[in-house]
Amino acid sequence: MNITKQVEQLLKQGDVDIFLAYRELDGHLIPHGYTLDNLEDLENLKVSQHRYSLEKVATHLTEKKPNLKIGIVARDCNQRALNLLYTWNQLSPENITPLMVNCCPSQTRNHSDCTYLEPKKTGTFKQKKGIDFNENPREFMDNNDNGQRFSRWMYEFSKCIKCYGCRNICPVCFCTDCSLENPDLVEPGALPPEIPIFHLVRATHMAGRCIDCGLCEDACPAEIPLRFLYREMNRIVSDVFDYTPGAGLEKSPFTIIGNEVTLEPRPMDA
Amino acid sequence: MNCKFVPSVCSYCGTGCGVLFEVIDGKINSTLPLKSHPVNQGKLCIKGWSLHEYINSYMRLKAPLVKENGHFQKATWDEAITHAAKNFNRIKETHGPDAIGVLVSAKVTNEENYLAQKLARAAIGTNNVDHCARL
Ligand code: SF4
Ligand code: SF4
Ligand code: SF4
Ligand code: SF4
Repeated sequence: MNITKQVEQLLKQGDVDIFLAYRELDGHLIPHGYTLDNLEDLENLKVSQHRYSLEKVATHLTEKKPNLKIGIVARDCNQRALNLLYTWNQLSPENITPLMVNCCPSQTRNHSDCTYLEPKKTGTFKQKKGIDFNENPREFMDNNDNGQRFSRWMYEFSKCIKCYGCRNICPVCFCTDCSLENPDLVEPGALPPEIPIFHLVRATHMAGRCIDCGLCEDACPAEIPLRFLYREMNRIVSDVFDYTPGAGLEKSPFTIIGNEVTLEPRPMDA
Repeated sequence: MNCKFVPSVCSYCGTGCGVLFEVIDGKINSTLPLKSHPVNQGKLCIKGWSLHEYINSYMRLKAPLVKENGHFQKATWDEAITHAAKNFNRIKETHGPDAIGVLVSAKVTNEENYLAQKLARAAIGTNNVDHCARL
């Protein structure tokens, strides 16, 4: 059964109240909420090459109506984000119906149909002063000493225009009170923001949380290799805690909400 | 509950980045960059990201206000435009057309800018036309 028929059935059977997928409008592929009230739109239903965080839209809808049953067309990255949002109690799996479609390669899946995430291009100046998007992190560590790594990251961070795009677009950034807007941590009104603190605050929050969807790096107008940074954070989380965010429904080792603390102190060089 | 996305253009500066408004039950809930837009290619500055805040601001003007006796009074468009036209005519007659200047903007369309300079030159009779992007 094709996806349009599946969505129609889910809506008509009342399995979902709204289904989030894409449609074509004025030549753009954009997200759309399909409901019983706009069944005629279904003929334009698309699985877009462009990725938007539909699960973030789902959290916005759930905020307004907690028991809303939501269907989502999901690639692997969307599914990882959903898993993470379930474990952080931002969405509940009973209310979400994902329909899986082909996806981009990721740490948890090799399958690759989506051409959207072609390797990014890095210009020569950036290669010389900054960080190549596609460099292997191991080689980056081997080829650059501490000082060089620091200066390369500082070059990247100094380009930040503090648009908050990395946070705004991120499916797993859902805090009502974001540390990046806390004047005690990040001075308001300064550009570039206080570096490297601005970026490191976010990087530490992404430990055990970033599901490596790459949306932040796509949205960064300053071309800062954010995904590279968060991947390295989570390599440590994986080595030390054996945890990959979004891979399953296991709670992050850093979860401190709830009755039980699962974080076990262990030496970093374990 | 309905949720749709409406493509638009950022109204903050002359770059003209493509945005997508997330509209939930008829109200703009958040702003996203339009990924397929040739100008900004899925990126925005902080102003673009915050468009929904001013659209939904309680301080937003939704009707024309005319100042009478030092206080702003709500008026209809007809009243406001008549009031403005009357006073422009008065200024023009007393001080000449060059006492009036027209400021246009990078945030509006070419066509609107064209019409504004036409109004300045043909209707008011002044070459005092300037533009915020020339600062
Ligand atoms: S890759 Fe970026 S946008 Fe995606 S989950 Fe990680 S931090 Fe968030
Ligand atoms: S940057 Fe940190 S505090 Fe801000 S929304 Fe993301 S996880 Fe929350
Ligand atoms: S998206 Fe890039 S430029 Fe914008 S705040 Fe994040 S790191 Fe800075
Ligand atoms: S998002 Fe920023 S750069 Fe783009 S049009 Fe709006 S104000 Fe200008």
